[in-house]
Amino acid sequence: MKTTLPRVLLLAGLCAVSAFAAFEAGSFAYTKRLETKLLAEPKPLAEVSGKVAFAHKVKVEQVQGAWLRVSEGPVSGWVFGGNLTDAKPDETSKLDGVALMASNTTATAAARPLDDEVVKYAEQRNLGDARADLEWMQKTGTEITTEDVDQFLQEKKKGEFQ
Amino acid sequence: MNARLPLLSLAAALAATAAFAQFGGLDLGKLTKAVDTAKASGKLLKGAVGIGPVEERKIGEATAVEIIGRYGGLVRDDDIMRRVNLLGRSLARYSSRPNLEWNFAVLNSDTVNAFSTPGGLVFITRGLYAQAGSDDALAGALGHEIAHITNRDALKIVQRGDTTAGARDLLLQNSAQARAVDSTVSQVGSLLGFDVLGLVKKIVDSGFDAPTEFTADKDGRGLAIQTGYAPGGLRAVLTGLQAKGENRKTVFATHPPLADRLKRLPNDPLPPAAPVVAEAKEQPAAETK
Repeated sequence: MKTTLPRVLLLAGLCAVSAFAAFEAGSFAYTKRLETKLLAEPKPLAEVSGKVAFAHKVKVEQVQGAWLRVSEGPVSGWVFGGNLTDAKPDETSKLDGVALMASNTTATAAARPLDDEVVKYAEQRNLGDARADLEWMQKTGTEITTEDVDQFLQEKKKGEFQ
Repeated sequence: MNARLPLLSLAAALAATAAFAQFGGLDLGKLTKAVDTAKASGKLLKGAVGIGPVEERKIGEATAVEIIGRYGGLVRDDDIMRRVNLLGRSLARYSSRPNLEWNFAVLNSDTVNAFSTPGGLVFITRGLYAQAGSDDALAGALGHEIAHITNRDALKIVQRGDTTAGARDLLLQNSAQARAVDSTVSQVGSLLGFDVLGLVKKIVDSGFDAPTEFTADKDGRGLAIQTGYAPGGLRAVLTGLQAKGENRKTVFATHPPLADRLKRLPNDPLPPAAPVVAEAKEQPAAETK
């Protein structure tokens, strides 16, 4: 009973994944990260063969499990399906990354201060403690880097490291 | 009928702006009036065409301050913060808005609930954190909240409210009496250009409507699966709560009944329970700051 449970879970997971990421060879997808790396092989640590900017349309050439071989003009390579989307991201989402890029310039980047109007609002509402908590939350957040998340995914065998 | 309101409001705003453009002279009073009108028109345009990332962040932060204040502050435990942020950001990385500045935290409350505010701020209560236990279950709960942000559910409420507020502001331009009444009513919330307390009431008190919640369940489940977590994570959390006996006052009070949510989720096998998970201990108010 115990040995069959992981198999059942794995099967259910695989079925669900294929239902969620419905990319097929010959279809098109869009990049959604500020920069999407295309890899020489369908492995997370493979050599980078090219990069594609935000919201670019790519053609799906081949599907291998959760990995897709895609091309955009002369550039082609493998990418984990979770890094693509079937709907073109709206342009507003591109601006999502402005603060993120700034905070990733150094591993210990300072937390972005709260908006001045939010600070005034907290004062008017006598929510000074809550404001301090939010500032602590954001400061603590900046101490966890993109590299930490990469390492977490690798250790837990999640995302492209599955 | 409702769909016409933004267009009518926009037309009114543009007409008002055009009327001011006809003034030849320039004095401070007229300039102030024109600026006020432009602000009101801006609200209408924002309502009609969308909210930018800076405004979204501001809305999210103001709403977050209210939520933190109402739920006993945050649990200031480095290990727990690290766990929820690593897991949450792993999920967010594969969401439709991976570039947002995502931050996750645990509220110091033993009720069972979770909230998210625009701009990427996600909160779960200490009660839900304890109930979730395993990474699979926690991923299910966080995935649901991430979906609310990527689906812009709260922003849609602001957009609808903002459009109405903008139209109201324009109508009040020439009524000093009405303006005085209005400023008393919205004196605090209007500082930020939107009704903060109204949004908080929606998120914290009444909750999103049931279809919005079911969509977030579905999308959150998909995100958890995409990231590699068990499909039954959210189901495990809801089933566990149901087995304990649902108390509508303390368990997901702002969400549809557990049975309704479970009925709409696929009948995935439940993932194994967590071996041992560090529990978020209740902190005296003084220690949470």
